[in-house]
Amino acid sequence: MIRIQLVDDEPNILSSLRRLLKPQGWQIDTFSKVEDALGGLLEHEYAVIVSDYQMPTADGVTYLQFAKQKQPNAIRLVLSAYGDRESMIKAINQAEVYRYLSKPWDDYEVVAAIKAAIDLYQLHKENQRLREENDAQRAMIKAREEELLRLEADNPGITRVKRDADGSVLLTDD
Amino acid sequence: MTQTAPTQSEQDALNARLEQANRQLLQSEKLAAIGQLAAGVAHEINNPVGYVYSNLQSLESYLNDLFRLTEAVDSAASLEDLRLIKQNIDYDYLREDLKDLLAESREGIERVKTIISAMKDFSHIEEEEFKLADLHRGIETTLNVVNNELKYKAEVVQDLGDLPEVECIISQINQVIMNLLVNAAHAIEEFGKITVRTRHIGDTVVIDVEDNGKGISEEHLNRIFEPFFTTKPVGKGTGLGLSLSFNIIEKHNGDIKAVSTPGQGTCFSITLPVTQPDQNSDD
Ligand SMILES: Nc1ncnc2c1ncn2[C@@H]1O[C@H](COP(=O)(O)OP(=O)(O)O)[C@@H](O)[C@H]1O
Ligand SMILES: [Mg+2]
Repeated sequence: MIRIQLVDDEPNILSSLRRLLKPQGWQIDTFSKVEDALGGLLEHEYAVIVSDYQMPTADGVTYLQFAKQKQPNAIRLVLSAYGDRESMIKAINQAEVYRYLSKPWDDYEVVAAIKAAIDLYQLHKENQRLREENDAQRAMIKAREEELLRLEADNPGITRVKRDADGSVLLTDD
Repeated sequence: MTQTAPTQSEQDALNARLEQANRQLLQSEKLAAIGQLAAGVAHEINNPVGYVYSNLQSLESYLNDLFRLTEAVDSAASLEDLRLIKQNIDYDYLREDLKDLLAESREGIERVKTIISAMKDFSHIEEEEFKLADLHRGIETTLNVVNNELKYKAEVVQDLGDLPEVECIISQINQVIMNLLVNAAHAIEEFGKITVRTRHIGDTVVIDVEDNGKGISEEHLNRIFEPFFTTKPVGKGTGLGLSLSFNIIEKHNGDIKAVSTPGQGTCFSITLPVTQPDQNSDD
């Protein structure tokens, strides 16, 4: 199940986003305290994390930098009422956020951004899965090759046995 | 030819010009402060506007669902069909959440209203008259206006005594309190505490604004009320806040002073007479 983490120090923002996202059927976890959100990162794997920018104990960029360490796969978004260039640049450079959305937001835009983020998350995951599969196969091939080398060392010629068209071993020397 | 002492009328003209220049300075500092605050206020308003706006869109989709149900009353073949629709639209959730949606949206609008009216109270530029005023209301208004500058820097504690109404120009007193609050927030490096205290002593009232910020060194302490004295970088400090505050308090026949321990914090105290001495007697 797709899990989304929303972090904002204003509980009413969290409720309205929850309302907005409910029809999408994702699991939504909301946090009004950065400390609790950090705790959430240890408990669940998130596809997308959306954080406010200005919050009392830590700013959103600092939080997202943390989140990036803990869950590098989760796609990070900022939803901010601040909207100055400086905060935006900081968010992009330091926390590598995928989208910077501003308050008041356009519902459609927020949903579309989260959907795109989920796609990206799934793509990364799929990529990672394929890479792991690839690595595993490579390791298997390598192990097999080593086994062959060992056999060949123990029994020279054994890996070069000749077979005929139907696969049976040919014992004749030529 | 030696310079003669200015005549009385020249003196009066000079005084009037000085008065005028002072008024303009006060005015421009106020506008600068409001400009600085505008960005913060925009942030304060964008939050509630953000969720109220989004809630309205959710409300629209809730209403569409409810209309679907009520319109089915005419078209549905059986009661069973109606029940099915009711289940489909998650009626119980809608019903519960509608209450929250409305309450939260109302709260958001209230907040915008409070901020706007605080801004209005605050920017009564033309007001020049001494009037009886409720200082606690002034403090409340000011806190609302600077809330955005403060809330990420400090917890604000109010320790308010019983105050009589005080004869003052409240918009100017608000401005002094704002300067003190903003300075206090600037002095706090991480997250601190700002205490606003009031008390009634004899025929005066005292307002303290205390912070646990970085404090003021001894050699700076006797310069802070000088115009243009600032330790802040260009763009952040004008060095006018305290000198204007000093002028305002002086004009109110009151007193403003600072006590500070570097590394521990600063306390600014304003003392104001409850009633102004007779205006006519001294000029
Ligand atoms: N609460 C405070 N704590 C520490 N320093 C302060 C405080 N209030 C004022 N100051 C010092 O006094 C200087 C002058 O303040 P002010 O006249 O308001 O100008 P500005 O805030 O623009 O610098 C500040 O730059 C700062 O060094
Ligand atoms: Mg100042």
